[in-house]
Amino acid sequence: MTGVIQTIVLGVLLGGVYALAASGLTLVFGVMNIINVAHGAMLILAAYLTFAIWTHTGLDPILAALITTPAMFGLGWLIYQLLIRRIRQAPASTSVLLTFAIALMIEGIIGLIWKGVFRAVTPGYFNDSVKVGSIYLPTARLYACVTAIAILVLLWLLLTRTWAGRAIRASSQNPQGAMLMGVDVASVAALTFAIGVATTGAGGSLISVLYPFFPASHYQWISRLLGIIVLGGMGNLTGAVVGALLMGVAENICAVYISVQWVTAVPYVVIFAVLLLRPRGLLGARTREDVAPA
Amino acid sequence: MILALEEVVCGYGGGDVLQGLDLVVERGSITCIVGPNGAGKSTVLRAVSGILRPRLGRIQLEDTDITHARPHEVLSLGIVQVPQSNGIFPQMTVRENVLMGGYPLRRDRELLKRRYAEVSELFPIVRERGPERAGNLSGGQRRMIEFARSLMVNPKLVLLDEPSLGLDPKSLKAVFDNVALMNEAGKTILLVEQNVRIGLGAATHAVVMESGRVRLYGTSREILDHPEIAELYLGGHVARDAAPA
Repeated sequence: MTGVIQTIVLGVLLGGVYALAASGLTLVFGVMNIINVAHGAMLILAAYLTFAIWTHTGLDPILAALITTPAMFGLGWLIYQLLIRRIRQAPASTSVLLTFAIALMIEGIIGLIWKGVFRAVTPGYFNDSVKVGSIYLPTARLYACVTAIAILVLLWLLLTRTWAGRAIRASSQNPQGAMLMGVDVASVAALTFAIGVATTGAGGSLISVLYPFFPASHYQWISRLLGIIVLGGMGNLTGAVVGALLMGVAENICAVYISVQWVTAVPYVVIFAVLLLRPRGLLGARTREDVAPA
Repeated sequence: MILALEEVVCGYGGGDVLQGLDLVVERGSITCIVGPNGAGKSTVLRAVSGILRPRLGRIQLEDTDITHARPHEVLSLGIVQVPQSNGIFPQMTVRENVLMGGYPLRRDRELLKRRYAEVSELFPIVRERGPERAGNLSGGQRRMIEFARSLMVNPKLVLLDEPSLGLDPKSLKAVFDNVALMNEAGKTILLVEQNVRIGLGAATHAVVMESGRVRLYGTSREILDHPEIAELYLGGHVARDAAPA
């Protein structure tokens, strides 16, 4: 029994970090109807930035999120202004093509700078763990999960307690309605995309201590994150958190009770099952259907 | 006069919908625009609220030229639009929806609070259903929330795009009672209505549009009594039957 609980707890710790990584993806889709396929590549870029900061300064990789988050916010803003802005009125499929091209560019740039070899960030506590009752909590995973939850709470407060957050949510639900309320929808879109990319800054720093990574790791990450947001309901932040926790647990159960080699298949199985059984996801939006939808 | 459109030419890129439109809205009036589909009724409201920019002509609010003003600038000058349908934010609560109406006032918390209290007084549904998700409301209730939200900025002019759309008779009556209520509270109303009988019944002034131009203008009674209008839009003798909604 302890073994099962241990497996679930480890999965939840992982899921907390997945939730942060998926939050930006679902936010950008929800507000802008853009599927940012480059989200995984941005995550890996932030992991490499963390690696560079850690090797050159010795700064703790989790604290490095204080640098990578604003850096990725800036990159997100720039990418929006240079590229995404031009496809704002285009269908979501166009965004897949454009952001896939961005992902390939980022992968190429990472390969040029850091070479195509596996890197890992291993701070002093990398092999430590904390024992709670009969359960072992790996210190790195625990720190990463707590930090991810703290950032998610900040993101949630930003979205629900500030006017910028209300403007983001209003724009996501009804862009023309938001415009008529005086919201500058174009600026809100740029802000949302930048915030979405900023989450890859913190997320990348956190995953750098959990997994080794190389330039093409982003393919695995974007599959996992898409699986999470499809499971939770595309565009739904709470859904992404729930989906991430379930994905973390499912992957861990698969690794322990089936085979580590099958873990990469878990997101695809999830996407397949959700689209087949509940296409709107676990927490996908549902409102009164006798009234015309927004 | 509170609003004047002079020789306005405006469209959606695939051609001009408004083709030299002249229109005047009297202060304190309920002015109803009627006309066949494609006449450009909703386009008038979109041009006034800044969603569409006129290619030619001039739009004036009192002494201010708003021809090229952006939606948030138009809003700050006191014009608010309630769109044709789906104006609410369905995943936000009723309270949040109404508060969004005060977005331009967001830096003045006290004023926002006061306005919210006033609006809740005028529209009890805001108080009663405040914590509920707006997407769970019926069509008529959503309209009330949109009306309440539009009053948060204390507008001079409220633009209503087909307020009767998709409503049952009971909701329809409640909606038009509230249009009258807003007018009594000092708001000038410019409304577009497909349902000519109801629209003209509620209005003080009326505009008949055809092919992007104004065909007739007058008091709603004059328009209702106009033989051509009765024949074209009301099916003959119904003008005498048209009672305020």
